[in-house]
Amino acid sequence: MTAVGKSIPHDSAVGHVTGEALYVDDLPPTQGELLVDALASPVAHGKLLGDNFDELRQLPGIVGVYTATDLPGHNCFGAILQDERFLPEDVVEYVGQPVAVVAAENRRALRKAKQLAQLEIEELPPVFTIEEAIAAQQFIGPPRTIKCGDFESAWTEAEHRLEGVFHCNGQEQFYLESQAALAWPNEEGQILVHSSTQNPTEIQQVVAEALGLHFNDVISVCKRMGGGFGGKETQAAIPAVMAALVVHHTGRSARVAYTKDDDMRSTGKRHPFKIFYKAAFTAEGRITGVEFDLYSNGGAAADLSTSIMERALLHSDNAYHLPNARFRGTVCKTNLPPNTAFRGFGGPQGMANIENVVQEIALTLGKDAYEVRRLNCYDHGLRNTTPYGQTVQHHMLPEILDRLEESSNYRERLQEIETFNQTSATELRGLALTPVKFGISFTTRFLNQGNALVNVYKDGTVQVSTGGTEMGQGLNTKIQQLVADELGIGHELVRVMITSTEKNNNASPTAASAGTDLNGMAAANACQKIRERLAEFAATQLADAESGCSAEENCIRFEDGRVWDERHPEASIAFAELVKLAYLERISLGERGFYRTPGVDFNRDTGKGHPFFYYTTGAAVSEVRLDRFTGHLTLEQADLLMDIGESINPGIDLGQTIGGFIQGVGWVTNEELRYSDTGDLLSYSPTTYKIPNIQDIPDIFRVDYLQNPHHQINVRRSKAIGEPPLMLCLSVWMAVKHALSCVKPGTIPKLRLPATGEEILRCLTELSSQVTFSTPEQEIPLVAPPSPVTVEEAA
Amino acid sequence: MRDYLLFYVNRTRHEIRGERAYQSLTDLLRYDLDLPGTKVVCAEGDCGSCTVLVGRPEDGAMRYQGIDGCIQYLWQLDGRHVVTVEGLKENGKLHPVQEAMVESFGSQCGYCTPGFVMALAAMLEENAPLTRQGVKDGLTGNLCRCTGYEQIIDAALALKGKAVTPIAERFHDAQMLAELDACAQDSVEIAYRESWGRDSRNVRIGIPTTVAQAVDFKAKHKKTAVVAGGTDLSVQMNKGKTEPDTLLSLVHLRELEGVSENDGWLRIGAKGTWTDMERFCRKRLPEFHKIIQVFASPQIKNAGTLAGNIGNGSPIADSMPFLFVMEAEAELTGPSGSRWVNLNRFYHGYKQLELRPDELITALRLKLPKSNETLKLYKVSKRKDLDISTFTAGIRMTLEGETIVRASVAYGGVGPVVLRLPETERFLSGKPFTLDTIRKAGKLARREITPISDVRASQDYRLQLAENLLLKLYHEVRQEKGWPPPETLSA
Repeated sequence: MTAVGKSIPHDSAVGHVTGEALYVDDLPPTQGELLVDALASPVAHGKLLGDNFDELRQLPGIVGVYTATDLPGHNCFGAILQDERFLPEDVVEYVGQPVAVVAAENRRALRKAKQLAQLEIEELPPVFTIEEAIAAQQFIGPPRTIKCGDFESAWTEAEHRLEGVFHCNGQEQFYLESQAALAWPNEEGQILVHSSTQNPTEIQQVVAEALGLHFNDVISVCKRMGGGFGGKETQAAIPAVMAALVVHHTGRSARVAYTKDDDMRSTGKRHPFKIFYKAAFTAEGRITGVEFDLYSNGGAAADLSTSIMERALLHSDNAYHLPNARFRGTVCKTNLPPNTAFRGFGGPQGMANIENVVQEIALTLGKDAYEVRRLNCYDHGLRNTTPYGQTVQHHMLPEILDRLEESSNYRERLQEIETFNQTSATELRGLALTPVKFGISFTTRFLNQGNALVNVYKDGTVQVSTGGTEMGQGLNTKIQQLVADELGIGHELVRVMITSTEKNNNASPTAASAGTDLNGMAAANACQKIRERLAEFAATQLADAESGCSAEENCIRFEDGRVWDERHPEASIAFAELVKLAYLERISLGERGFYRTPGVDFNRDTGKGHPFFYYTTGAAVSEVRLDRFTGHLTLEQADLLMDIGESINPGIDLGQTIGGFIQGVGWVTNEELRYSDTGDLLSYSPTTYKIPNIQDIPDIFRVDYLQNPHHQINVRRSKAIGEPPLMLCLSVWMAVKHALSCVKPGTIPKLRLPATGEEILRCLTELSSQVTFSTPEQEIPLVAPPSPVTVEEAA
Repeated sequence: MRDYLLFYVNRTRHEIRGERAYQSLTDLLRYDLDLPGTKVVCAEGDCGSCTVLVGRPEDGAMRYQGIDGCIQYLWQLDGRHVVTVEGLKENGKLHPVQEAMVESFGSQCGYCTPGFVMALAAMLEENAPLTRQGVKDGLTGNLCRCTGYEQIIDAALALKGKAVTPIAERFHDAQMLAELDACAQDSVEIAYRESWGRDSRNVRIGIPTTVAQAVDFKAKHKKTAVVAGGTDLSVQMNKGKTEPDTLLSLVHLRELEGVSENDGWLRIGAKGTWTDMERFCRKRLPEFHKIIQVFASPQIKNAGTLAGNIGNGSPIADSMPFLFVMEAEAELTGPSGSRWVNLNRFYHGYKQLELRPDELITALRLKLPKSNETLKLYKVSKRKDLDISTFTAGIRMTLEGETIVRASVAYGGVGPVVLRLPETERFLSGKPFTLDTIRKAGKLARREITPISDVRASQDYRLQLAENLLLKLYHEVRQEKGWPPPETLSA
C-alpha cells in the first residue's frame, strides 16, 4: 500500500474547514505589538517635496512614522535587476507606492494617520501605457530575441500573409489573503518575520539588507498563504520590510495586513502585452514563418518582468512547429505598480498571441481553426524542434488533440453552431479547441534546486521541512505522500512543518510549477539516505544465520509501516520499533536532502538552449453563447484533457486543473483592470473587479487525463501542474472570436483580451453596422476620474 | 431600556457597552473575542469569506441565516445568536459540511473555506435544494480563487440525503431563546463621548422597539443614519467614507417586516428583506424575481431590504427601473403621521430624496401588473451574478394586438438618478409593435440619457445598450407571443 497516487485530503483541510488553520493576521498579538501600514503616494509620478509626518508623529496612538532615511541598511532591491526602493527617497513612481511606514498602538490611530497623511509632491509627467513608453523610449533591460530559420525569406516567398496587433490586458492575482507580515524582535537585533510569501529566502534577504543585518540575523517563516498565484513571489517584500523596520526602531513586534483595496491598488499584476505579429503560411494553412514583436507593460520597476518576457518568448510557439521565426521582447517602464509573476508567468500572453494568429490564419483561408491547429502541431518526427532549439520529446500533443476532438464531438457541434448562428437573431455561439504546451523548470538555471530536512522521531513519526511554501496547491500533501512512501509508512505519520529559512536555506521561490518537482525530490533524497542507514541496521537485526540469510541491506524492504528481509518476510519488525532500536545504537535519524534538475540550461544571448526539463501539455474545447444585444457571454461547456504524467494525488491535481482553468477564464473574460487617467486603479475591489463566481463555471464541465507511457522522468513520473491548466482558458476566448467571426464571414473580428460584455458588444456593433466605439487605442482603458455616480454600493 | 447590546456568540453571552458597540461583527470576532476563523477579504460583502450564521427567535425557536459578518455592525445584532466556523464542530467532531469539504478537496488555500463552510451550513438550515443549480445559487456570495468551485459543488452534492441536525436543535438553549426574545421588547440607547487628540464627538446608538420610538429618535437627532440591513452603510463605514455619530438600528421593529399581497396591491414593509421579496416574487412577479436572483448573494439578500435600496437612492440600484415603471409608492412616516410618495417623484438629484429629516421610510406598495401588460426588466453587468449594474432597464407596455397602447421606460446607470424616458414613452404609445418602431425608439432613448464612462463601462457601451435593450425586448416579446420572427436579423 503506497500513499503516492492516492487522493489523500489536503494536509490542512481539517484546519481549513474548522477555521483552525492560521494565516499571518490570525496569529494572536504579542504583548506590546504595533500595527503597521503604509502611507502611500496619491500620484503616479512626482518629486517628493514635503510631508506632515512630524505632525502625525505627535498624534495619540502613533508610535512612529518612518521614511527612507530611517532604513539602516541599503534601500534597493529586486530579484533580477536591483532597481526598486523599499521606500522612495525623492521620486514616487506609482499610485499606491508606500512612501512612509506608520506604526500605531491601535487600529483607530492607524486609520486616522492614513486619513490625515499629506504629501507635497511636484507632479512629473507620467507614462502609463505601452504606446506612451515606446514613444518615450522607456524600457527595462535590453530587448531579447529568439529566432530560428529565415523569417525574411519565408515572408517574401509566402503564399499568404497576415499581420496585425494583438492586445491583452493584465490580471490581478486576487489571492484572498492580502499581503501580510508579522515581525518579532529576537535577541541582539535579530528578527523573526512571519510572512505570507512564496519566497521566504528572499524575505530573509531583503529584511537583512534593508536593516543592515547579516542573513543569519533574520529568520523568515511561512506556515501557509491564503493564495499566492505568483503575487507573493517578490511582492511580499515591502510589507515584510515595513514590519521589520518598525521592530528595528521600536523593539516591539509589528504587524502589517493590507486591506484588499490597498493591496490591489499598490501591488503588481499580470503584465499587459501588446504584440505586433506577422505570419506567412501556405494555402493549406501550414505556417512557414512568423515574426512577433512583444511589448509588455512592466510598471515602475523591473521586478520579474524580464524573466516573464523570457517565458512569453519561450511560449510564443505554444504547440506549433515554426520553421522560421523571430521573436523579440521588450519590457516597458511605466508609472504603474511593478507588474509581477502570475500563474503562467508570460506563458499565457505568448500563447494567446500565437493562438490568435492561428485563428486568424484559419479565418483568412476560410478553414476550421482546429484543422489549422492540428496541421501545425508539433509531431513525433522532424517537426518537433522549438525556435530556441529544444526538442519537444516524449509528448502526446497530436494524440491529445485527436482524442479531445473526438470525445468532445467537436466537428458535429461546430456544424450545428454555425447553422445556429445563421438563423438566430438574438444569440451567437462559438466553439474552439486549443492546445497547451508549457515548459517546466525555472528558465534561470540556478533556481532549479531544492533542499529538505527530514527528522524521524523515536516513535517512528516523521517531520519534514522543505524550502517550498504551501499556498493551497497541495505541495505539503504531496511531500507528505512522497516521504511516507520512501519510508514505507502511513502518510498520517508524516507531518510537513512550517517553512522556515532556519531549516531550509537558500531556497528558490515556490514558483514555476516546480514546487513538488524540486522539493519532493529533495525530500525523497533525504529519506533515501535515512533508509539506507536503517536498512543497514535492520539487516543485522533481521539476519538469520540458521536459515543462511546473513545481513544483506539490499534485501531489506520498507512497506506498510514494517521492515523485513525479503528472503524471510515472516520475521518483520515495525518501523517504529526499528527506529527506537536504531536510536539506541546511535544511528542518525535525521537527514538533509538536496536536488538539482539535471540538464537544464539556456543561453540568453543566443536565445538557444534546453531551458525545460519536460513539458506539461493538454488541450481544451470550450463552447460559448453570446447575447447579441448586450454582449453578455456564457461559458456553456468545457472539456479539458491533459497529460500530467502519473499523478501523485489525483484529487489535488483535479483541483489544480479546474482552478487554473477557471482562473484563466477570468483573465480572458470579465477581469478588467481599469485605471483613471491619473493612473489610479479604479477596479480595486471585488465590487468592481469581477473574478469568476460559482455561477460562471460551465454546466457541462469534463476533465480527463491521458496516460503518457513515454514520460519516464521527474519525481515518481509525475508532471508539474500548477500553471499549465490556466492556459486552457484560451479556448474560451477563441470560442468568442469564433462566434464573432460568424457575424460577417470574411471579416476578422478585432477582439481584445479580456472579452468583456462591453468588448464583445463593441465588436458586434462594429461588425454589424460599421459604427466604431470610441474605445481608446491603448492596451489599458483609461477613464476619467469617477464622478459621484459611481460610488460603490453593495445592494 | 438597556445601555448595552446583548447577543450570543457560539453560545456565549456577551454584553457590549460604550465604544465597544461601535464595530463590525468581524472586528469583534477577530480582534476582541480571538475567533480568527472568520476571515475578512473585501470588507464589502462581495466575497463571503466572513459568512456566519445569525439566529433570531422566530415563533418560539431560533431561525438561522447566513450573512456577511463584515458588513454587520454590532447594533444590528442585538438579540441575536451568532454562530461562527469555530462553533460548528460538535464535541470535537466535524460537522457534515466540514467533512464533505475535506473529502471532496473543497479547500485549497483555505482562506475562503470558513465562509463556504458557513454558507453551506446555512443552505442546510434553510433546506435549500442540493442540486447543481441549487448549490450554485446558495454559494453565489462566496468567492474562491483556487478551486474553480467544482470540488466545492461536489462537497455540497455529497451532503444530499445526509442526516444533519439543525443548528437550532443542536444549540437549543431555552434560557438563551427567552433572553433573546425579550430583547425585542427592550429598547437600547448607547451614548458616549469619544476623543482622539483634539478631536472628540458624541456617539449615540438607538435601537427602538416601536415605529413611534424610531420616529421620535429621528426627530430628536436630525443627522441619524438609519440601519436595517446595513449592506450599504456598513460598506461605506468599512471603507472610511462615513462614520455616523448617530445611528438608528431597526433590528427590533418586527412590525415593519414582511411582504404581503392584498387586492392587487403588493405591500413591502421597510424591513422586508430581499430574501422575503425573492420568495414572494418567484410566482407572483417572475420578471422581478429574475433580477433578484442575480443581483445579490443569499447573505446580502438575508440582510438587505428593498426600503434600504430606496433610501440609499443609488442610480444603479437594481430595483429602481422596476419600481419606477410600476409607479411604486413609498410610505414616509413622521411625527405627524404617514404620507405616500410616488417613487418617480422621490429623487431630486444624486442621492437627494423627498424625505424629511424626521421621516422614516416605513413601507412600499405597488399595484401588480395586469395580465395584458408586458413587463421586461434588464440588468447588464460585467459578471452576471453579484455584480453592480452597468445599466438597468425597466420597460412596461400594454399591447393590444400588435399595437403599443401605452409604454413606460426607465433606465438606470445613465445619469445621476434613474430616469424615465418621456419622449420615448410618448413616441411608442399608439405605434405598431414593429422592428422599425423599436429601432426609432432606441435612437430616441439614446438621446434622452446622459451616461458617463466609469470603472464599469464606457459611455458608448451604455448608449448602445439604450438602443439594444429595446431590441432585445422586441425579439423576446415576439418569441413569447409566438409571432413570426422579424424580417431581418440585427443586433
